[in-house]
Amino acid sequence: MKYEHCIRCTICVENCPVFRVNPEFPGPKQAGPDAQRFRNGREKSAEEWVLLCSQCKRCEMACPCGVEPAQIILRAQQRYGLEHPHTAAHLLFANNYYLSTLGSITAPLANRFAATKIGKKIFRRMGIATYIPFPKFSFKTLRGEKKARSREARKVAFFYGCFINFYRPDIGRKIIRMLQSFKIDVVLPPQWCCGLPALGNGNTALARSFARKNVASLSNYIDAGYDVVYTCTSCGLCLLHDYQGILEIPEAKKIAENSFDLYEYVLKLITEREIKPNFREVNRVLAYHIPCHLRALKIGYPAADVIKLIPGLQCRILDDACCGLNGSYGFKKINEATAVQLGRRAVSLIQKTGAEAIVADCGSCRMQLSGLSGMDAFDPVEIICESLGIKGKK
Amino acid sequence: MSVIEYDVIVIGAGVAGLTAGSWLSGQGLKVALVTTGEPTACLSTGCIDVCAQNEDPLQGIAHLPAEHPFHLVSNATIHQALNDFQQIMTDMGMSYTGGLGKNRRILSAIGTFKTTCLTPSTMQTSPQNENEKIHIITFTGLKDFYPGYIISRFPNASFSIYNAGVPTTMGIAANFEDDTFLEAFILWLEKQNIREDKIAFPAVLGLESAMSVKERIEHRLERPIFEIPTIPPSMPGRRLFNGLKDHFRRKGGVIYWGWPVAGVEKTGRQIEAVIAESRGRPNSLNARAFILATGSFVGGGLWAKRDTIMEKVFNLPVFVPGGQEVWFDQDYFSVNHGIGETGIAVDSSFRPKGCPWDNIFVCGAILAHTEALKNGCGHGFAIATAQAAAQCCLEHIR
Repeated sequence: MKYEHCIRCTICVENCPVFRVNPEFPGPKQAGPDAQRFRNGREKSAEEWVLLCSQCKRCEMACPCGVEPAQIILRAQQRYGLEHPHTAAHLLFANNYYLSTLGSITAPLANRFAATKIGKKIFRRMGIATYIPFPKFSFKTLRGEKKARSREARKVAFFYGCFINFYRPDIGRKIIRMLQSFKIDVVLPPQWCCGLPALGNGNTALARSFARKNVASLSNYIDAGYDVVYTCTSCGLCLLHDYQGILEIPEAKKIAENSFDLYEYVLKLITEREIKPNFREVNRVLAYHIPCHLRALKIGYPAADVIKLIPGLQCRILDDACCGLNGSYGFKKINEATAVQLGRRAVSLIQKTGAEAIVADCGSCRMQLSGLSGMDAFDPVEIICESLGIKGKK
Repeated sequence: MSVIEYDVIVIGAGVAGLTAGSWLSGQGLKVALVTTGEPTACLSTGCIDVCAQNEDPLQGIAHLPAEHPFHLVSNATIHQALNDFQQIMTDMGMSYTGGLGKNRRILSAIGTFKTTCLTPSTMQTSPQNENEKIHIITFTGLKDFYPGYIISRFPNASFSIYNAGVPTTMGIAANFEDDTFLEAFILWLEKQNIREDKIAFPAVLGLESAMSVKERIEHRLERPIFEIPTIPPSMPGRRLFNGLKDHFRRKGGVIYWGWPVAGVEKTGRQIEAVIAESRGRPNSLNARAFILATGSFVGGGLWAKRDTIMEKVFNLPVFVPGGQEVWFDQDYFSVNHGIGETGIAVDSSFRPKGCPWDNIFVCGAILAHTEALKNGCGHGFAIATAQAAAQCCLEHIR
């Protein structure tokens, strides 16, 4: 929130994916530090266009002066959300956690309905985009997974996040099996949505209540000697940055100090010679799409470093393009054109590499990129498990 | 994060940092580059100024004051570094024109000429005098580019305006990446019945595919076209940065974005690691040697307070030319501001003078006595000193 440090160099504008394709959005410089000079507590926020920011944080990564335009805009978005009625789409996506809980209980029905013409029509009426299929709810969530407790010295509390829990529990199970193969004890602590969807849809209060519950739960595990491991890069960013930042959660610092990105954790164990994975040859040519929020975590690209250890694998790293979906952002009809254009660009960059499939840490990036390209998109763990010979059960 | 050991860590993602990083990666070293944000190269014209003091840049260098750091680089290394650069940019699909034999001139957005050495090929046919017959295309609502400035100096120039649907440099450049847009634009251009010999554009002809956009327009209009660099956001500057960055990656280099160095770990005469600010555990990266290429004041390498000037990463001793009274000339637009000499003074192996550590090497605009504005030593100076410093760094490591 150091808007006075802005020297108006426009590097953030050059990096803003939304600005590139949507002339309605004035760009991070104007929406962030420039407009901040005119924002005060007395007048009602009148800037609906702040909602066009997708919070990809590319402006923050590019700023040479440490201004954090996305943070400034995020606060303006919360302010706007507080003072204005929310649209149906915003309300639904903010409560994605509850919605998904309902969706997975009624999975066969909900999935079928979402794929019908009538279903899509209703979604569009509600301002929800349907250009790529919705992710399919999984009836058997990861949360319900039976615990296979062992007595290993190294213990991990796995923050799996909503995407894995409700849509791709198979990936979650692979992660657990991979960690177990490294002689690590994995538990699934009680957890809720990280809060990012609520924050992204202008509902600070809901985000804060999720955050408080998560912090209380994870904190107990940390005290008992567990390392917290997350795999969704957006959950990670929220846990590490937003809990301490905009949500002002006490004890958030402790969570940040003890949480690891899954591959950061694996890489750490490999370099400390705690584990020696026996990687076998995988003959694939892959394009690794770096999720915007992985960049924003500032931990480098640990999954790429792990994948590099696999013999036979060719992997090109692409971190210049945002996939455009940004979680629930692209699912709002108002952002559909932006999301599709950005997605097509990301896909064309991937196709130029000649890769046969895509790898990305983030579930929503994978959804967008494989939806628009028709290519397979894998979580890094799927490639690692292929190399280690770990087979997941559905 | 202290788990990864690199051979070299380069601090700064500008032309100097990326050149040094790529060169060292090319020698088989494990290199990481850390940076606060994107470099001032993105704001530049993308042209490679070596030394603008003389028609012949090497002659110009020979006449620079004795303390100028360009004298630390041999002519052979300057040749090699610039050849390598041209090769890199050609490989990345953004070729450069020109050579060390002679400086060139390019037309600026206010109708004056800028002296430089290598130019992006999209500026290859930039006019060399005011009498050339040029037709300028501009775009509806595009701020900061007014053909009137050029026409007032060029008696044989005229202009037309195209509506690209968006008024910003970035937006128009993104449109040019789209085939349908380009085709509609070319059709419009053909209808303008342009009689002049050359067609000028503000530098908005695409981002990734500027070269092919240029060739396609030239092919259809059957005459040369060229770009005129704009004020930021500058597409040629961004193309230069993207080219060097992608090349560094292809050589195996790793980049940490948003990674301002907040502290260092040291033992004896060695820097062991650099540390970044973090919300959680401290982020630190170990290496055997460090290259400092953080740029001057705008780049963020130097920090001026009222009475002192500091180097921000290692707090190295900074050469400052006297007291504040000599920092600035009375004339704002003068190129003789004393502060232009400020920077890190280095020995013949690009190690900072008076520095307690042996494994730091310095290159680019942060070097003392550069006077970039006065001498016209820009990216060319960065490229040459980066390669020379990287060579010294390699010798140190081996």
